[in-house]
Parts: sequence; C-alpha cells; structure tokens
Amino acid sequence: MGAALLQALVNGLMTGALIALPAIGFTTIFAVLRYPSFAIAAYMTIGAFAAFYVNSRFGLGIFGLLLAAAVVAGAVGYVAEQLTLSPLRPAGALTVAIGSIALNIVLENIVRFGFGNDLRGFALPIYPDLRVGTTRVGAQQLQNLAFAVAVMAGTFAFLRFTRFGRAMRAVADNADLARLKGIDPKRVASVTVVLGGAMAGLGGVLLGLDSSIDPLMGYRVLLSVFAAAVLGGLGSIPGAVVGALAIGIAEELSLLVVPATYRGAIAFFAILLMLTFRPRGLLGERAT
Amino acid sequence: MKTPHSRLISPSRRSVLQVAAVAAAASLARVPAWAQAGPVRLGTLLPLTGAGGPYGPLMAKVAKAVIDEVNAAGGVRGRRLELFVEDDQTSPEAAVRAARKLIDVDKVAAIMGTWASAVTTAVAPLCWESKTFLTTTSGADSITLLPHQGYLVRTQPNTTLQGQKFGAFAMEGGTKRIFFISPQTPFVKTQLDGITTSAKKAGGEVSSLVYDDKRPSYRSEVDEILRFNPDVIIFGGYTPDTTVMLKDIFRAGYKGKKIAFGYSVNQKLIESVPAEVVEGTYTISPSTAEGSNAYARVAKLAGVTNPDPYTVQMYDQINLVILALGAGGGDMDGTTIRSNIRNVSQGANRTKVDNAVEGLKLLASNKSIDYDGASGPCDFTDIGDIIDSKFRYEQVKAGKLTLLKIG
Repeated sequence: MGAALLQALVNGLMTGALIALPAIGFTTIFAVLRYPSFAIAAYMTIGAFAAFYVNSRFGLGIFGLLLAAAVVAGAVGYVAEQLTLSPLRPAGALTVAIGSIALNIVLENIVRFGFGNDLRGFALPIYPDLRVGTTRVGAQQLQNLAFAVAVMAGTFAFLRFTRFGRAMRAVADNADLARLKGIDPKRVASVTVVLGGAMAGLGGVLLGLDSSIDPLMGYRVLLSVFAAAVLGGLGSIPGAVVGALAIGIAEELSLLVVPATYRGAIAFFAILLMLTFRPRGLLGERAT
Repeated sequence: MKTPHSRLISPSRRSVLQVAAVAAAASLARVPAWAQAGPVRLGTLLPLTGAGGPYGPLMAKVAKAVIDEVNAAGGVRGRRLELFVEDDQTSPEAAVRAARKLIDVDKVAAIMGTWASAVTTAVAPLCWESKTFLTTTSGADSITLLPHQGYLVRTQPNTTLQGQKFGAFAMEGGTKRIFFISPQTPFVKTQLDGITTSAKKAGGEVSSLVYDDKRPSYRSEVDEILRFNPDVIIFGGYTPDTTVMLKDIFRAGYKGKKIAFGYSVNQKLIESVPAEVVEGTYTISPSTAEGSNAYARVAKLAGVTNPDPYTVQMYDQINLVILALGAGGGDMDGTTIRSNIRNVSQGANRTKVDNAVEGLKLLASNKSIDYDGASGPCDFTDIGDIIDSKFRYEQVKAGKLTLLKIG
C-alpha cells in the first residue's frame, strides 16, 4: 500500500504539471482582465498544432516546438482578443466569458478545418519510465515538470521584477488607480492575453507529448484547468500551480479507493469543497 | 316474362358453374408467365444518406442485382420478385416513416439491410406487429433481445460474440491472465462477459478496468493494470483514448501481448505514435468471408474489388430471404420467412449453397440446403443472433497492419 501511495503521489505531480501551465495562463488573464477565458482550450490546441507543424515540417526538437507554440498561441490570443473579446468587455465579465466559449469553439473548428480530425503525434521518441526503488518515474513527465516549473518561475520573476510586470499587477489590483498613475490599460491587456495564450500554447505542447494532438485536446482538459485555477485561488499564479498539483494528486490518489470511471468527478468535488469552505481558494486572490 | 336479354342480367346457375369450372382449371394448370398472383414484394431500408451514406448505395445495388438474377432464373415458386428501396437517412424518425410506407403501402414480406442500431430498434416493432420479416446489419446486443417473435435476424456479430473472439484469441499461446480495459461504452459489459466466458473455458483469469476516456494520461490506471500482472491486455476503447493508453503502457515497460479493436488501432493511430509503442499489437475485427466464392460474387455484383462488410451482409440477407420464401409451406409473406429461415441457413448433412438461384433449384428438387454466404456461415440462434462469424486477425508489423488470418 505504501508503494502504491507513493506511486500515486508521483503520478499526481506529473498529471498536475501538465495542467499547471494553462492554469497559469487562465489565472493571469483573470487577474488582469477580470474574466475567465475559456478560449484557453483553443490556445492550447493551437500551440500544439503549431509545434506539430514545425516538428513535422522542419524537424525541430523540443525547444523549437515550445518556442513555436508560445509565439503562435500568443499571437492568436492577441488577435482573437482584439477582434472579438475586447469589444465585449464593457458589457461585463459574464458576457466576455460566454464570448470566450464561443471563440473557443470557433478557433477549434478553424484548426479542424486546417488539419482535419485525425490524431497526430510529434515525431519525438517516447522513453520508458525510470525506476526508483518500487516507484516508476517518467523521464518525459519529469521533463514536463521541469518545463512547467521553469516557465512558472520566469513568469513570476517577470511580474515581480520588471517594470511592466509591476504595471500588470497594478492593473490587477486596481485598474482605475493604475490608469491614474499613467499605466496604459490597453497595453497591459494586450501583453496579458499574449502571455496567457503563450502559456496555454506551451501547456498544449506538453499535453501533446504526453497524449496525442487533435482539435479537441484542449477542450478535454479545460475543466481541469479551470478547477486548478479556482482551487488555487483565481488570479493567483502560485495558486494555479498549487491548485494544479493538488488536483493531479487528488485524482491519482482517488484511484486507490474509487473506480477509474469516476476519476473526473474528483476535481469538481474539490472545487465544491473549496468554494464552500474557502471561496478565495488555497492561496487567496492576488497572492502575487 | 323472360326476355332474351334478361339472361345477361340474371345468368342461369348452370352457366355460372361452367365459367367457374373453367377458371378453376386454368388456375390449376401450369402457366409459364408470372402474372397470376402478382409479384412477391421485398423491401430494403438502407442508409442512402446520413452517417451510413457511404454504405447504403452499394448495398442497394447488390440487393437489386440479386433480385434481377433470381427473376432471370424464373423467380421464386413461379413468382417474380419486386424490390422496393427506401432511404432511412440514418435517422430513426425517417426510418419509421419509410418502414410504414414499405409495410402499409408496398406490403413487403421482408425489410432488409437496416444499418444503424437506433434505426433497427425503431422499426423492429413495426415489423413484428405487421408480421414483416426484418434482417439487419446492426450490432447492439439489445436488438435481438427485443420481443420480435422470431421476425428478426442479423448478420452482424453482436458484441458478446466479439468479446468471446477476443477472449479466445487472447488465450492462445499459453496465456493465463487477461486484463480488459475500456471506457464506459454501451457494450463494455457484454464485451467483458464474452471475454470472460472464453477465458474461463481455457482456464484463464480476467480482470478489468473501466476508465474515463477524456484523461490526458493514465499513469495510475496503468499501475493498477500492471499490479494484476497480465499476460495480455485487451483494449476496448476508441482511437484517442487507446493512443494515450498505449503510450502509458509502453512507458510503464509492459512487454506482453496487446489486442485491440480494428476500428481503434487503425493505420491512423499507428502513424500518430512512435513505432515501438504500437508494434506487435494485434487487432480483431468482424470480417467478410474474403476468398470465398460468395464474396467473389458480391464483388462482381457490386462492381468493386473489396466490398465492405455491410454490402456483403446485404447480399447474404437477400439470398436468405429469397431461399426462405422458396422453401415453401405457406404464403409468400413474413411468416413463411420466419418459419423457414433456419431451414435454409443451417443444419447438418445439407447441401451447401452460396446463392439463391442455385439454392432454389435444389429446393425445387426437394433437397435440403445450408446457405453459407459472403459474410460467413450465416447460422442463427433462436433469438436471431449470428452463431459464428468470420473475424479478421491482424498484427502491427513494421508499422503496418499485416493480416494474420481470417477465421
């Protein structure tokens, strides 16, 4: 039982690392623009397809793939935001949130139109897991975890130590006050969606490495991403990571007692508990 | 009071009897033309449009060709066959309207070829209520469990039979422990039951896991599978979840046998994952009796080199219905087909036939026949399921699906 428990914990960290990056993107957009962007799912898909394209076309390795995904998904996030979501913003967060669901479906279908419904995979090798004692550790998943931590650290540093990062946090804290201080909210909004899209795109590549690439791949994990952000505290970047890891671990541990079919409900059970007893999430809002 | 022309209005009893006697004699005499009782009407209800659209048109073509063949050879018990083709649009609503037309207006003896399980389930009650015989290519187990009073058979193996085939194949080569994994599907239970039946018979042990098919990874599920220490893993899922599962099982270092559905581990999947992940995986799918004489006949009638399983089943269904009508003992209706269908499709020490024309000749000379068709032996259980069917066993070798056997 001890070995199984340890294995489930390790698996949980790996699963959690997969949804941490898009959860950061989701929560960043929420922190600054004050709406939940469900288009994150499409940005993940687009990131994965951009990476798939450069991988199959130019044979780039993992770093090239991540770069391509971040650039393309960020750019698509920017354009989509300017064209569709930005004009909706005066109507309130709920309208933008619904608009983002519509945008998500449109973008997914554009990908479907361009690439078809087929399953694809990167032309990268898959490695058997390493064994540490009785515990199985995936080399690929370790790599994913490392990428997620690195990107998270980078984002964190960007927000904390750069001038623009500080401006973003100012807008997140109090948009009116920030404007009075001469911060251009439009520029901040643009950088935020680029960052959010890029983050989701990176997550899409990691997800594609682990599973497969198809137009609905982002949509399938969207609710887990949302759950991670809510659990960690909407608007908190460390919260998103903690939330993602917590959900990953909870889901894997649950398999020891609950049949696998019901695994998907665990995350949402966690959300209900969290919203009931600690509505601002594990790390509260604006812990950045 | 009688006037000469009054005979026209009120004929004498004698003259009436004379006319009647002549008419009776005429009807008893062997007349080569088939104008006597009108044609025997048969219907097909096919997915000419909608999700089944790729299959329906070719099925209709083959059905028509068989009817033409039989008519050219003299029809059934001296009567010509007439075929009515209706489109079910792969939709139960449209199918019910079309079935009503076939039953009430065209008064067909049988409706053949229904494809989608939802369509078959919708039209089956209309058929048994009106004593119209129904033959179908639908696979859902629930269909033959309907209270159809014998007015239904299918040529598509149900999922229990598919499960038994998986189980039997898995047990080959000294296997002891089978693990079956599947997402939640309508047939996961019947499939598992089938596998378990076959495995138990061969002294094997089966365990199973039903997973959520929308997960990005299945690491903990794979841990649970491997704790059972299986010799064989059977994949019951569809392509996307099976892709993820295959990768995670490879990562976990599993080296045993892997068996999956042909529709899940297909060429698309094989191309989307690194070769070593899927290499050596076996696939099983319901097959046609490729290489048989009947299959070649279907290919010729359909005008294609490799007719699909549904076209092949359509051929078998229409031949069986015609033979059941030809076996006699009643009117040319659904009830006669119901009584005779197993007399022409199965049984020991009978002459094997693979087409209606030849079978009708044998029946006419009082021989008993056993139809073995292009989809397989076409023998039916009491509730109308196919007893045995050919399956296609393939293996991924060097990144290609390679045929191992059909059987």
